[in-house]
Amino acid sequence: MIHLNNIDKYYDSKFQRTFVLKAVNLEVKEGEFVSIMGPSGSGKSTLLNIIGLLDAPSAGEYSLYDKSVLDLKEKAKVDYHRNFMGFIFQAYHLIEEMTVYENIETPLIYKGVKSRDRQAMVADLLDRFNMVAKKDLFPQQLSGGQQQLVGIARAIIGKPKLLLADEPTGNLQSVQGEMIMETLQQLNNEGMTIIQVTHNEKFAEYGKRIIRLEDGIIRKDVASKIVFSI
Amino acid sequence: MIVRVLILWYGSGISRWTIIQKQTENNRLKAMIKHFFINIFRNIRHNKVFTIINLANLVIGFAVFILFSVLISHELNFDKFNTNYDNIYRVQTRQEDSYPTNFCTYSPAAFRFHLMADVPEVEKVLLMREVSGGAKGSGQFFTLPDGSQFYQLNGYWSENSIFDIFTINLKEGNKSTALTEPGTIALSETLSKKIFPEGNALGKQVIVGKRFPVTVSAVYTDFPQNSNLKPTYLVSMPTYPGLSGELAYGENWTNISFDNYVLLKKGADPKLVDAKIKNAFKDVKNFEKSSPYLHPLSKLHISPNSQPDVIIGLAILSLAAFLVLILACVNYVNLSLANSTQRATEIGIKKVIGSSKKLLATQFLAETILHTLFATVLALFVAQASFPLLNRILNKNIDFSLWNNAQLLIFISLVSLLVGILSGLYPSLVISSYNPVKVLKGKVFSNGGNSISIKKILVAAQFSISLFMLIVSFILYNHVNFILNKDLGFENKKILYTEINPRDKMPFETVKTRMLQHPEIADISFSSTIPFIGNIGGYVTWEGAAPDEKEMISRNYVNYDFIPTYNLKMAYGRNFSKEYPADNKACIINETALKVFGWSDPVGKLIYLEGRPFPVVGVVKDFHPYSVHNPIPTYIMFLNNNVISGSTLLTVRFTGDEQKARALVTRELDTIFPNDPFEFKDFSIAFYLDAAIEFWQSMKSMFIFFAVVTLLISTIGLFGLILFTVKRRTKEIGVRKVLGSSVGSVYWQLSTEVIGMLGFAILVGCPAAIYIYKTMPGAYKEPLTISEFLIAIALVAVIAFITISYHVLKVAVSNPVKALRYE
Repeated sequence: MIHLNNIDKYYDSKFQRTFVLKAVNLEVKEGEFVSIMGPSGSGKSTLLNIIGLLDAPSAGEYSLYDKSVLDLKEKAKVDYHRNFMGFIFQAYHLIEEMTVYENIETPLIYKGVKSRDRQAMVADLLDRFNMVAKKDLFPQQLSGGQQQLVGIARAIIGKPKLLLADEPTGNLQSVQGEMIMETLQQLNNEGMTIIQVTHNEKFAEYGKRIIRLEDGIIRKDVASKIVFSI
Repeated sequence: MIVRVLILWYGSGISRWTIIQKQTENNRLKAMIKHFFINIFRNIRHNKVFTIINLANLVIGFAVFILFSVLISHELNFDKFNTNYDNIYRVQTRQEDSYPTNFCTYSPAAFRFHLMADVPEVEKVLLMREVSGGAKGSGQFFTLPDGSQFYQLNGYWSENSIFDIFTINLKEGNKSTALTEPGTIALSETLSKKIFPEGNALGKQVIVGKRFPVTVSAVYTDFPQNSNLKPTYLVSMPTYPGLSGELAYGENWTNISFDNYVLLKKGADPKLVDAKIKNAFKDVKNFEKSSPYLHPLSKLHISPNSQPDVIIGLAILSLAAFLVLILACVNYVNLSLANSTQRATEIGIKKVIGSSKKLLATQFLAETILHTLFATVLALFVAQASFPLLNRILNKNIDFSLWNNAQLLIFISLVSLLVGILSGLYPSLVISSYNPVKVLKGKVFSNGGNSISIKKILVAAQFSISLFMLIVSFILYNHVNFILNKDLGFENKKILYTEINPRDKMPFETVKTRMLQHPEIADISFSSTIPFIGNIGGYVTWEGAAPDEKEMISRNYVNYDFIPTYNLKMAYGRNFSKEYPADNKACIINETALKVFGWSDPVGKLIYLEGRPFPVVGVVKDFHPYSVHNPIPTYIMFLNNNVISGSTLLTVRFTGDEQKARALVTRELDTIFPNDPFEFKDFSIAFYLDAAIEFWQSMKSMFIFFAVVTLLISTIGLFGLILFTVKRRTKEIGVRKVLGSSVGSVYWQLSTEVIGMLGFAILVGCPAAIYIYKTMPGAYKEPLTISEFLIAIALVAVIAFITISYHVLKVAVSNPVKALRYE
């Protein structure tokens, strides 16, 4: 599904080129759950942003389903964001002026889903995440874990093929973090491809595959159980 | 076959796809609009301070703009109620032999009978004359059947064609015959109600002065506020010769004190008419260089003398109104950008979950337009409510109703839309192009380098406008004080004057002797005109003048006491004196005339009026016989025969209390002229009748009003700007504090930025204000003083620094941990 070939990301200053990612090759198949790990500044988030079409690589090739997605027009990118991928953030990034219900509903509006269908879909998800009673609350009125659940609901409401999570548990206590990870695992079991960036060794284990980045280079790319055994 | 199927399949695919696409668009639009409104209200709730500041800013800006739009449209739409608006002209007199060329609104009666009536393009002619000579401020006394009397201004002699040319509504009487007979008078409704409160004025008698009975032939609805001509009564023109004694007035080409109006036939070209009447004065001695010209009704109010003074004034006001609106726009842009940082997350997220840049920009633009429209509606109510106040400030009486002025409402809505688009465009573009990756990491400001420099330009523009408006306000303020307090060159404080038109001749000495018994009366004189009241022109030539050289000079016929009564100072020679019997054929001129005549030794030189020589016995120092606004004209005084007869002006200089003096002179004069009406007035009344004084005073009040509004809006804008800057630097300030930096250094840094912008504003605002000063009409202007500029600069600077201090202190005194907690 995802094919990164020789991806570089660098910033040029006057006399120096600083690499954030260097010669990254990565292939992710449909249904995988990949955890990207590495120290601060190793390029994890940049990699995730490039995969999510929020950032462009400086060099290399990137294709989704064998179609190159570099140099896409704004409109095509927007289309991918609407229909193909969902995002989860460490700081949840819910829209504060919107209720839980509206936060979850918004992507469907951008997708142009009919009002009646939207209602059904949001109701479904609220039910699934046990948040029906909270649907009219504003984000500030929820706990961190609950906010992240809303974040996940918002990310998956459009039935994306790919879910990108940037340290989804970074701001959470471990109990809540586990709940979130279990939710992600369940989604993966249902067939959703997930790529997460995390600092937490334990939560990385929820992925089927772990990639370790260091200074913009992939140092290890292994199935998670093997990492566990080391 | 296969191809056909393929085409069919392909075609249906396309149509199905487009249908789905369309439905999707529809669904999106519907939901989006709903969410758009919900979003706006939630945003308002979440950003109360921002909303209130920004709305106040827009409402003030728009209210001011609306008020002045009304005011200016009121001035520009004078006389439009006339159905013949486009075809009515006043025939005025251009006098090219005076410098600068004089465009006199008056004309001789001969125009009516021997000029305009013969022009084929002319449909109707109308001859009018202001009762009591045409000097502004002189009126007419009336006596009622019960013997009581009152004084009425703005009456006219008029022909009956006034009803055909102007749109006048008759309450009583018949339009076709109301003013055709001698001895008839038409009354305005107000005057009619005053004289005959019981109604039914038609056929009743009124006495002009105390002697001339006239019969009421019609009552007309008062002319509207926005009419240039507002006669309180009209006496039929056929009454004129009998009452004035000028039996052959229709043959007179040199008595330029009538109003000639014409109605041109539809489609007639006024330029053609102008060409035909141009040479009318060709054979009139001394008037060879005068020519009649048509002045359209549309210009009678804003430029009666074909001079641009009022138009310049209106242009300056329009500029000010637009600047206030621009100021509000700039504020809106600044405040929107400042606030957008709060909404950065919202924007980033929306982009990530599938909103396009275009959609976001549209959303913000729509929001701005909605804000401005809402502000406009509020402003309409504010303007409507504050109009009486404005009327009072400006001493006007404009009938103001916005709601039935469709034209104005449309204009205002268009401006409002334009303002919405202009002030929404830039912020929406900036905001919608935030990079979501950076925004979501809280780095919006590193992205905003460019936007901040544009912001700086905007704020510098705002400083410049504020400074400009303040300086102009100060200049106008000082100018009006200058005009009001300028030394007029004669005694004008302890002066009482009255018009009187006695039935019987009366030697002046009798009056003088009686009056001067009282120590309160310092001096008394009588003359045909006094400063600011009355104007008699005439052509003179002088000893040493070139053969065709002559001068239009202001004439005054005075008695021996005129110069001492007004305390005029002699520059050369002496006052008229009884010791020199030949003085009744002599004259006294002013310094301006002396300059024009070019004499070095004026006493004994000759001046020729209508061919007769008058030796000069003295030269008075220049004084202002008319408006301070205009240059001092050439002026000449002749001695009258010291007997009061006909219409004349009495002046008394008193000492001590005015009330007491007025009572005294009124009692004395009443015993001398028991049958003649009069009323003593303070000289300031004559002074304030001057149209220029009124003009400048309202300019001053308007600009003070503008200055206050400008300061208010600027303060709001600065508040927004500094809120933005400080927010941008909250973290920086926090870090600096942790590192041990003082509040002072942060303060200093912000201050240098503001000082830079202030410097720019000084470079732009001061020259612009000087330019306005130079275009400002008026012959006498007070020289610019540095204080006008310094005070304005100081005021803007003080506001800037108070705002900086407030915000910096708020941040600096707060806990640095709090400032650093974001991210």
